[in-house]
This record gives sequence, C-alpha cells and structure tokens, in this order.
Amino acid sequence: MTEIPKIVRQRLQTDAKLADHPEPNLLSAFVERSLGQREQFEVLHHLSQCMNCREIVSLSGAQPDVAVAVSLAPARAAWLSWPALRWGAAIACVVVIGAAVTMHQKHESAQHSATQASMSNHAIVDKPMSLQSPNLNSEPVQAAKQRTSRNSSGNRKLADPTPVEMADARTASPFTGVVPGRAKDAVAVPQGGEAEQSTGELATNGPTSDTFFPDDLAAENLAPRWTLSWDGVLQRSLDSGRTWQTIPVASHVIFRALAANGLDIWVGGKAGALFRSSDAGQHWTQVLPIANGQPLVDDIVGVEFSDGLHGKLTSSNRENWITSDAGQTWQKQ
Amino acid sequence: MEASARLDSLLAEIYVKSQSEICGLSRAQFDSILGEIARKYLAADATQNEICDLYRTLRVEELALARSCAIGNEHAWEVFLTRYREKLYEIAGYITKESSTARELADSIYADLYGTVTRDGQRASKLASYTGRGSLEGWLRTVMAQEHVNRYRRQRRLVSLDEEAEEGAQFATAEPEAAIVADPRVEGAVDEVLAALGAEERFVLASYFLDERTLADIARSLGVHESTISRKLDKLAKSLRKQILASLGRRGMSRRQAQEALEVDVRDLRVNIRSRLAQETGAPAFSKKKAETAGDGS
Repeated sequence: MTEIPKIVRQRLQTDAKLADHPEPNLLSAFVERSLGQREQFEVLHHLSQCMNCREIVSLSGAQPDVAVAVSLAPARAAWLSWPALRWGAAIACVVVIGAAVTMHQKHESAQHSATQASMSNHAIVDKPMSLQSPNLNSEPVQAAKQRTSRNSSGNRKLADPTPVEMADARTASPFTGVVPGRAKDAVAVPQGGEAEQSTGELATNGPTSDTFFPDDLAAENLAPRWTLSWDGVLQRSLDSGRTWQTIPVASHVIFRALAANGLDIWVGGKAGALFRSSDAGQHWTQVLPIANGQPLVDDIVGVEFSDGLHGKLTSSNRENWITSDAGQTWQKQ
Repeated sequence: MEASARLDSLLAEIYVKSQSEICGLSRAQFDSILGEIARKYLAADATQNEICDLYRTLRVEELALARSCAIGNEHAWEVFLTRYREKLYEIAGYITKESSTARELADSIYADLYGTVTRDGQRASKLASYTGRGSLEGWLRTVMAQEHVNRYRRQRRLVSLDEEAEEGAQFATAEPEAAIVADPRVEGAVDEVLAALGAEERFVLASYFLDERTLADIARSLGVHESTISRKLDKLAKSLRKQILASLGRRGMSRRQAQEALEVDVRDLRVNIRSRLAQETGAPAFSKKKAETAGDGS
C-alpha cells in the first residue's frame, strides 16, 4: 500500500468543528445503506471528519461473530468440533481410498477377462475394453444426470437438506430471569454433503408456503438460520438472516421456543405444543410430553437439546421437563 | 386532495403491515409516531410525496414493536426479548471481546431499553427513540457501540491517583505546544488538497491511516469489496502526493524543495525544547505514552 506523507496524516487528524453527531438511527441506517442519497452523503461527510462516529460505525457495522458469541455462552459440546472434523476427514479419506481401490480392482479384473477373451478369440479383441469403459464411467454420469433432472424438475421435491448446527448462547444470558422467553434463533452451519437423496414431499397437513424453496438450500449450500417470528411462526433464512421464509409446522399454533441440533429441529409453544422434525424441517411430528401420566399443558418457553436424545423443556410455570430418549419419555423437575 | 388521500391510504396500509394492533398500538397512536418521525427527518414544508417516500422506507414492523415496548406492552416485551435478548448478548460480546464487560454492557443497555429512568413519574425507554430508519438489530448494535465508546472514554478520564503516579502524570511536563512546522506553505498546501477531497475519499483515508482500520472493515462500512478500497487508497495516496507537490510549486517552491518538505517527518518538527529541558531536570518516571504525547520522536 502506498504511504502518505506524515504531514498529510497530521493535517487529516486536525479536528473539524463538527455540528451535532448523527443519532444511532441514522448511523445504523447508514451502515445498512437504507438512507436516501442526501442523508447518506451527509452522514458520510460527518464520518469523514469524526473519529468518534467512525469508531461507532466500525463497531456496529459488522455482524456479531458467531464464534465470539458462542465463546461467551456456556460451553456446549458441538459435534462440529475440531476432533470430530479430524476424525471425519480421516474416515472420508479411508472411504475414498477404499472406493478407488475397489474400482481399480474391478477395472483390472475386467482387463484380465478381456485379455483372456482376446487370447481365445482374436476377432473380438479390444471389444470388452471398449464396452467395459463406458459401463464403469456411465454410472456416475447417469446418476449426476438424474440428480440434475431431479433438482431442476418443477415438482419441488426435497433434496437432502444441509445439516444445521445451533449456535446457542442462552443460559448465561443476563436476562434469563426477566421474562420467560427462551432462545429462538439458531444459526445453522452447512456441513457439506451430497444433496441428491430425495426424502419426500413437504408435509401437506400444515399451511403451504409460497416462499419455501428447499431446492435452493441444496443448490446454494448456504447456512440455514432458524428463528421464530414475533407472532410465533417458525422461519428459516438461507441468506444469513436477510430474508426469512415461513416453515409450515402446524396451523393455529403459536411457537415460543426452538432448538436446532443438526437435522433435528424442535419447536415448542402455547399449551404444551411440541413438534419435532428430524429432517431439517421437511416433516414434522407432534410430540406429547407426558410425565407421571400428566401431559404438559403449560406454554413451552424454552427448548434445549444437547444432542438428538437429550433435551429439556422449560414451561411457563418454571417446570423443567427432561427427556433422554428423544421425547419418548419425560421426567418433570 | 389526491396526495392527501394517497397518504391516508398508505398510513392504513402501513398500519396493517406493522402489525401494530397485535402490539397494542391503535391506529391513532401509530399515526402519531409516524408524524413525529416525519417531523424529525423532513423539513416543515415537506410535500406529501416526500412524507410518503419516507414512510415507505421505514421498518414499520420493528418500529411498532419497539414503540409498544416503550409504552410497556407486556406482549411486545415478550416478543422483543424472544427476538433480541440473545442478540444483545452476542452484540455486546462482539463489541467488547470480553465476557464480563459484555454482560455489563448488555445489562446496562437492557436497563436503558426497559426504561428504569423515570421522568415525571413515567418510565422513559430508550426504545422510544428508535425511528425505523434501519433495522432494530442494527440500531441496537449502534446504541451498544456508542455506549461502549462512551464508557471507554469515561473510564480513561477517571484514572486513579496510583495509576497517575505510575503513568508519571504528577511529574508531567506542560502540554506540548502546537506543532512547529518548518514552512507554513506545506501546511497550507496539504490543507488545500485535503479540503478538495470528497467525503468518501476522506473517510477512506482517515479510516485507514488514522484509525488503522482494515481494508475489510472499511469496505464493509461502505458496502464495497475490499479490493476496491485497496485500489482507491493506492490511487488516493499517489494523487495526494502529486497534488500537494503541484500546490507547493504554485506557492513558490522548487520541485526538489517540495519533495524534501514532504519527506520531513512531522514528529521531527514537533520537538518542544522547553518540554525536553523540563523533563531532563524533572522526574525520571516519564511514561512512554506521555513521551509520545509530548511529541518526542527521538
């Protein structure tokens, strides 16, 4: 980077006589570029002369780093931790090498049989090879073609969704005791993986949504984020929170809490309504928490699942309902 | 009449869109909030079209939520905390980079948002100042950043006597005098060139060279790619030098004199002889920070 003379730096630093500083509404709108041209220019002009406001804009301009947020939250065993990744990578390598060796052996045995055939019959020399090669290669090509046709078909069939992982920062929140609301947002991290297996159609018993395009998830491989709208509707974002799509779960149920853990999504709400999806929101099953023969009838205001089996519900009257078998049985505390 | 009808229809549309009714805000209350926002951002003689344009850019749903919270609607508070409680905490963590300070900041902001300060027996919530120009989350980030910067400045002013002694303040020399520049023509030329810069150019220069922000950070503030900022900075630095040299030429300096004048380290020009003498005869405990402040570059 070309340096500027030090005298320029010094003169640049000279404080201008500034009028009032822009209020937070204008500064945040400036960062989000939602001001009109004139206001945008006015704020920029102020910023060019005010170190204080530049600092505020700089601090407020960036999205909170999920890693920082998580580090402030109580530690939770994330399956996307470094050891898991390391073992995952090792297993992937073994699988790839195994597949390569198997294919190579098949290829060699085909060559061997071709050689034997050529020894017995010179008229068809080379033919087995020319037939064998396309067969070996055509399988993935055809599978890819089928994938493409599936993905591009207008049926809106669901591709295997990208797994999600929850970034949870709830229990250490300073407001835990203030209002019985619980975590609603869940940042999802794409884990890579094939998006070729169709797992079924959208559930038809809930309200349909025009804006839910699961194919886009597979195509764009963006990190899904989950949230509940303020009127209690489950929503998912595939573009880091810029736009949200309504995910139909059940009609006339107001949700108050959600937990996302891998493909498992749990949402709880009014009058003990609890739903679970084990395929990242494509299909939903209602779960009835019953402990000692008594069903949960209070509002669910907190849902926490550390893995696919172990979870905790918090009800509006401060009861904790614990499960260690993915909601099959419950214990009240 | 037609414009007035259009405004009326827009207000009705916005009211529905904002879901104010769910938050317990009547149409009259919401219209009054919008009127207050229009008066704040538009001139008194703004046309109805300008008012409509402003209203269309507002985040009305978040505005309704914030204002309902400000007047103490319980349902709105529940919704607000559900949506933003975790975010407040995350934002505080991002800003402060330290968990206990983050908690303190988040607690303090929450108290302001909830409105613990009473004015005339009424709760005054900071959320009442949200106007929907940007997102509520963005506003919260800005408010927290502002509070953090203010706290930092306050803390710097409140230094204990022990710290002062450690810093050598009790033995400090007089504040350095204004910079002594060898040739006022250089200052004049630089000021002239800087004054001719556009706001964005000056912002980029100041952010990079004064605030020492990263290219990515500056690019994010301006909504462009960091390579654009890198190119802009390079171009600006070269162009500045060229223009200053030209300006010095117009002020009677030869090319060589002008180049030499620009090469002089500003710190070398700020040596304050009196401070130096006072320091030598004064206390030995003179912190590095103070020495730098005094402009001693040696």
